[in-house]
Amino acid sequence: MMHAPILPLLLPLLMGSLLLLGHRLELPLKRLLSLAATWSLVPLSAWLVWLAGDDQLRVYALGDWQPPFGIILLVDRLSAMLLLLTALLAGFALLYACRGDDERGPNFHALFQFQLLGINGAFLTGDLFNLFVFFEILLISSYALLLHGNGAERVRAGMHYVVLNLLGSALFLLGVGSLYGLLGTLNMADLAARVAVADASQTPLLAAAGYLLLTVFALKAAILPLYFWLPRAYASASAPVAALFAIMTKVGLYAILRVFGLIYGAQAGELAGLANGLLWWLALLTIAAGVVGALSARNLQRLLAYLVVLSVGVLLAGLAMDSQTALAAALYYLLHSTLIGGAMFLLADLVSRQRGAEAGDLTQGPSLRQPLLLGGLFFLGSISLAGLPPFSGFLGKLMLLRAADPGEALWLWPAVLVAGLGMLLALSRAGSALFWRPGGDVIEGEDDRVRLFATVGLLLGGPALVIFAAPVMAYVEATARQLRDLAPYLNLIGGGA
Amino acid sequence: MALALIIALPFLGALIPLLVSRMGRSAVAIAAALAPACGLWLLFSQRAAVFAGEVQIAGTEWLPQLGLNLSLRLDGLGFLFALLILGIGLLVILYARYYLAKSEPQGRFYAFLLLFMGAMLGVVLSENMLLMLMFWELTSLSSFLLIGFWKHRSDARIGARMALAVTGGGGLALLAGILLIGQIVGSFELSVVLAAGDQIRASALYPLALVLVLLGVFTKSAQFPFHFWLPHAMAAPTPVSAYLHSATMVKAGVFLLARFYPALADSEWWFYLVSLTGLATLLVGAVLALFQHDLKGLLAYSTISHLGLITLLFGLDSKLAVVAAVFHIINHATFKASLFMAAGIIDHETGSRDMRSINGLWKYMPHTAVLAMVASSAMAGVPLLNGFLSKEMFFAETLKQHLLGSFYWVIPAVATLAGAFAVAYSLRFIHDVFFNGEPIDLPKYPPHEPARYMKIPVEILVFLCLLVGVLPGYTIASLLAAAATSSLNGELPQYSLTVWHGLNLPLAMSVLALVGGLFIYALRKPLFAWYEGLPEIDARVNFQRGITILMRITDALTDRLETGSLQRYMALLLGSVLLLVVFALSPLESLQGSLPAMPVDAITALGLGIMALTALLTAVFHRRSLVALMILSCTGLMVALAFARYSAPDLALTQLSVEVVTIILLMLALFFMPAQVPAESSSLRVLRDLGLAGGVGTLVALLVYAVITRPYQSISPYFLENSVPGGGGTNVVNVILVDFRGFDTLGEISVLAIAAVGIFALLGGLRLAHPSRDGNGRPWSTDSHPLILDILARALLPMALLISVFIFLRGHNLPGGGFIAGLVTAVALILQYVARGVAWTQARQPLAYHVLAGAGVLIATLTGLGSWLFGRPFLTSAFGHFHIPLIGEIELATAMLFDLGVYMTVVGATLMILSNIGQVSQAEPFREVR
Amino acid sequence: MEALFAVTLGVLTASGIYLILQARIFPVVLGLTLLSYAVNLFLFAMGRLAGGVPAVIGRSAEYGDPLPQALVLTAIVIGFAMTAFVVVLALRSLGETGTDHVDGQEPGK
Repeated sequence: MMHAPILPLLLPLLMGSLLLLGHRLELPLKRLLSLAATWSLVPLSAWLVWLAGDDQLRVYALGDWQPPFGIILLVDRLSAMLLLLTALLAGFALLYACRGDDERGPNFHALFQFQLLGINGAFLTGDLFNLFVFFEILLISSYALLLHGNGAERVRAGMHYVVLNLLGSALFLLGVGSLYGLLGTLNMADLAARVAVADASQTPLLAAAGYLLLTVFALKAAILPLYFWLPRAYASASAPVAALFAIMTKVGLYAILRVFGLIYGAQAGELAGLANGLLWWLALLTIAAGVVGALSARNLQRLLAYLVVLSVGVLLAGLAMDSQTALAAALYYLLHSTLIGGAMFLLADLVSRQRGAEAGDLTQGPSLRQPLLLGGLFFLGSISLAGLPPFSGFLGKLMLLRAADPGEALWLWPAVLVAGLGMLLALSRAGSALFWRPGGDVIEGEDDRVRLFATVGLLLGGPALVIFAAPVMAYVEATARQLRDLAPYLNLIGGGA
Repeated sequence: MALALIIALPFLGALIPLLVSRMGRSAVAIAAALAPACGLWLLFSQRAAVFAGEVQIAGTEWLPQLGLNLSLRLDGLGFLFALLILGIGLLVILYARYYLAKSEPQGRFYAFLLLFMGAMLGVVLSENMLLMLMFWELTSLSSFLLIGFWKHRSDARIGARMALAVTGGGGLALLAGILLIGQIVGSFELSVVLAAGDQIRASALYPLALVLVLLGVFTKSAQFPFHFWLPHAMAAPTPVSAYLHSATMVKAGVFLLARFYPALADSEWWFYLVSLTGLATLLVGAVLALFQHDLKGLLAYSTISHLGLITLLFGLDSKLAVVAAVFHIINHATFKASLFMAAGIIDHETGSRDMRSINGLWKYMPHTAVLAMVASSAMAGVPLLNGFLSKEMFFAETLKQHLLGSFYWVIPAVATLAGAFAVAYSLRFIHDVFFNGEPIDLPKYPPHEPARYMKIPVEILVFLCLLVGVLPGYTIASLLAAAATSSLNGELPQYSLTVWHGLNLPLAMSVLALVGGLFIYALRKPLFAWYEGLPEIDARVNFQRGITILMRITDALTDRLETGSLQRYMALLLGSVLLLVVFALSPLESLQGSLPAMPVDAITALGLGIMALTALLTAVFHRRSLVALMILSCTGLMVALAFARYSAPDLALTQLSVEVVTIILLMLALFFMPAQVPAESSSLRVLRDLGLAGGVGTLVALLVYAVITRPYQSISPYFLENSVPGGGGTNVVNVILVDFRGFDTLGEISVLAIAAVGIFALLGGLRLAHPSRDGNGRPWSTDSHPLILDILARALLPMALLISVFIFLRGHNLPGGGFIAGLVTAVALILQYVARGVAWTQARQPLAYHVLAGAGVLIATLTGLGSWLFGRPFLTSAFGHFHIPLIGEIELATAMLFDLGVYMTVVGATLMILSNIGQVSQAEPFREVR
Repeated sequence: MEALFAVTLGVLTASGIYLILQARIFPVVLGLTLLSYAVNLFLFAMGRLAGGVPAVIGRSAEYGDPLPQALVLTAIVIGFAMTAFVVVLALRSLGETGTDHVDGQEPGK
């Protein structure tokens, strides 16, 4: 079906606007609609993944205007995979939210749909300015979702997040503008083709534009020294929102991958691999910063937020190594860290709900109502997160370590392994404090099975990525191969699709 | 298949005790024993092949690109370890049945135990090194759960975390080591690796790989200086200690030495690292064991010492030493397991483990005493017990080596000294506990023999000690030979397993050790006094202190990094940009491009000058908010004029209308904000801000100048050519917005709608104090419906609506369009709110703004979807020309419908924002305007 | 003329940046507004500066580059939405935290 690529955008867009239209509808109905739309994205994007498996690039020319003139959506293996990942994460996060978190303010479901529109759009678009637009959709909805329910701490964190990203958006426009001013086009593939034949005297200007974009993406991806907004924001957001945000940093990394893998890709001559050297060191420093933060965290949500930062560092290292195997490893790790990261935020909330005022603080608190169940889940999640066998974190780490060539291994191995030890210390300390320290009386309350189901559902991503490791790895390897062979992308322009 | 099953059984079997946990202790124990019993049976079914020297390798490829395959291996070494793991495991399960109190969660205990057992089996039966590593880390994790089983006790919690940190950390080093070996050999399969010893040793990476692997080994096997975690793991229930610290967990380390011996040994590096570490551990463990007052503490340090002995043997670089090491692994497992169990019985029956209070138990529990005495004699190396045999071999081996040159005698001397201490602490175990007067202040008094079946595991093990000690040739020989052969991966050296080797030097060392041990024990009182005087080193305290220090450092770093200051984060962001862009632009040869410059005309120059000046003044006057806002609006006006000047009428119109709404918005906000902004930046901060501002400003100026003076090849001619024929409009900018790049516009109105929704949520329930006076102290007007404004507003409304229709309709061909029209409408409506108040206006306002905004986005989307009916992609436009009476020739395009969506969204969103902000003040009751 | 334009843009940017580095929210909002003026002009200028060439077919002999204009329009609208959001967030922050400091607390507290 020719319209397949746009469905993951139309679905949330239509549902989002319908939910606004029907903003007075009863909450259960809104939930039903929102859930239906979100979960439909799962088979839909699975279908796209299946379609993408033939290694063809699928182009959807909006308004029937051919590239480079009109905006195109581009489905390749990477975008299809990320759509599926987003759909799964969002499906479970939304399910969790439907048990009460969505009642804390108006229009949660409409915002959630628009958030998905933004994320999916960022993954699909093949146009740099359109990427900006989707970034803005994604950001404005994330502002609203982050602040959903209000409260002083959220507002404080939100203010930083919003203002920093507003500055980021300005820089984005400067970057896109410069590229257009120099190359006269906005389609990413066309930009790539034009960079390849650009006059040498323009190289510094093109590099400047690239660095402007890099800074913006680094801010979204939470790379050192631009990650400081993240811990507070993620720790203060409501659990389902924080879980969904597990994909947000990845959008930044995705943008780095697209822009620096394609526009400043191998064809770009002097500009090829523009940022790799820099990103490599930043990646290692980000890993270090993540560990340091995780070790200092006195609160479970903050700990998890820092582990998000850490995973960004690991992923970025994979991208910066600039090889097919490393890219494949990074993509596998991306799947892992998103699912498990999201699951852990939900789990942290389940735990916090049973600890009354102590919530996620790593201090002695009330005994949990479900110490074994939650403790067991925490144990499994922590193992995955810390990269210990037998779950996905270990395989991801292993792939990445193996992908490093000797010169890189000299830095990457110690960084990743020591980070693993740091995570082990931080998580075992947290787990011991939350589940083992004898505390006060159990706080009576209802336990929600749906919330638990959503959490477990995401957490199962860890074992699933191991059980299906062979096909998943085959897929990410093919993805890496596809991404590094630029010719088909460049051929998109001029009817080559 | 049998191999895979042996490993899988305990993992699957871990569920059974959980399922039957309500059916009583015996049922749970039997349920737990199922899996290991079956495993043992399966293992035995393979024994013929193993003893015949066959190496079975089975499994499948899993992730070949990673080198990670599900391949398993059963050879003599694996068989031996699997036997110990399963056999002693079964005994421990039986023992724990009686050890654990009724109130304790049996099911969970056995589940953890079985998980651990499965992991251990995985380690010893893996052919693939990476698979082995996975199991290795699993042993660390499951032992963490076992050690922390009594989670209510802080010593158990810390002990568990310490064990995990040390062994888990060692596992990470091992991972690196294994990866290096795999890199050198090109395979992770043991059969390949073991055959590639020469290749590995020749590699430049060998020392690094070796050190990393040994780090894993030494941490796991509690070798000095990583031994400290083991005594604290004694906080675990005793069955766990009996299992982990006799046959399994700590043996995993020395197992690895045995496993990798052909691949890694036979080098100076190996010898020095392994033998010296072993030697140090042997002595330190033996000495410290004597000074423990805790029964399990004594056993823990003795375990450390014996592991040192085994390690030393592997380091001695002779094939016979390997045989001795493997032999001692077996012997240590049997006597140490039984000793731990005996200690557990004593603890269980007396309620204490302190040897200063448990004395004279011979009277109360003679049966247990006999068992414990035999076992500790084996530990001390008394003849006719298994410990004697391997210790004799050990002494002989220490004499044969000549590796330390002229200091070769150090090794046998230290070995004898450690042997003497081993005798002394074994003696203490016997004498202090069972004799030496009467018990002192026991929590449970009088102690008595435990349940009959609790002693059975001990009896079996002690019997084995005896049997092997007396008849080694008939009992252990073939197992030992098989295990040693596979450890050496080749020919077995000549050796004889007899009790009596004649009068020789090793025997003399044994005798010396025995006598020395007696002597040391006799001197124990002054020795204890001396030891008490030493500064205490408590690993738990140190570990806690280490963690605290680590946390303090990370705290300090985090405080430094994540300061919570937005200004700093912004400065970092801008600084990063500045740095990178300066770096990028530095090689730029010429700032100016080849395009001819436009001539300077006075009016434009004046306009630009005013723009720059007002911007500067805004910054200068920023502390006086209202003044700054006034000046800012001038800048906005100049920007609109600049757009007009440079041929962008649409932009000028849009800028102007947005400007109006923005200023209204800021005025509304300013009403609640402090009118004066305090001066609080230090001069250094001001300097930094000025530097960043100047820097970024300069960069932007340079960038824009460099770009716009250069020629470029744009895709724009396509839009100019196709606007009329393809898009049906002459205003190309509008056609781009609603057609060529309509998708951007769809996104843009979504942003607007979302912002409105978000703002609506932010304002929900918000109340801000109503300032009664402005910044200059003048009272705000309290006239809620100023008459003139009211009349004006009412008169303006129809006019404004008419203008919006006009702007909207001409948009496709002339400057205008849905967005501007929407803003004009919104401003006119807002004026009604301002003039008449929210309540009045709301009552006469037919549409909910939520609906308006949502419908706008929906209409735009549905318009786009319409093209599907014609088999075209989303947003494909169509248009036609129609004649309408009075108005004349008019063109209708789907793009206009799309633009209608834009219009509605803009009106809905803008009004939702402004009308709700307008009533945040506390004076009026809040009515949400939806 | 281009040089003059560039300098003006630089001044606009610098003023905006200086303001967004302030500690109180209102100057920051002013700074963001100034910055968005600058960015919009920048984007617009990427189509090169020319007078009397509006991109309306049939109105003039030559046409300016319409694409950056369309982009700027989009950017203006998005910028407006964002400004509105941050202004209201500032009000919320004032309500929740009682201060107009960007960190949600008075310095030194």
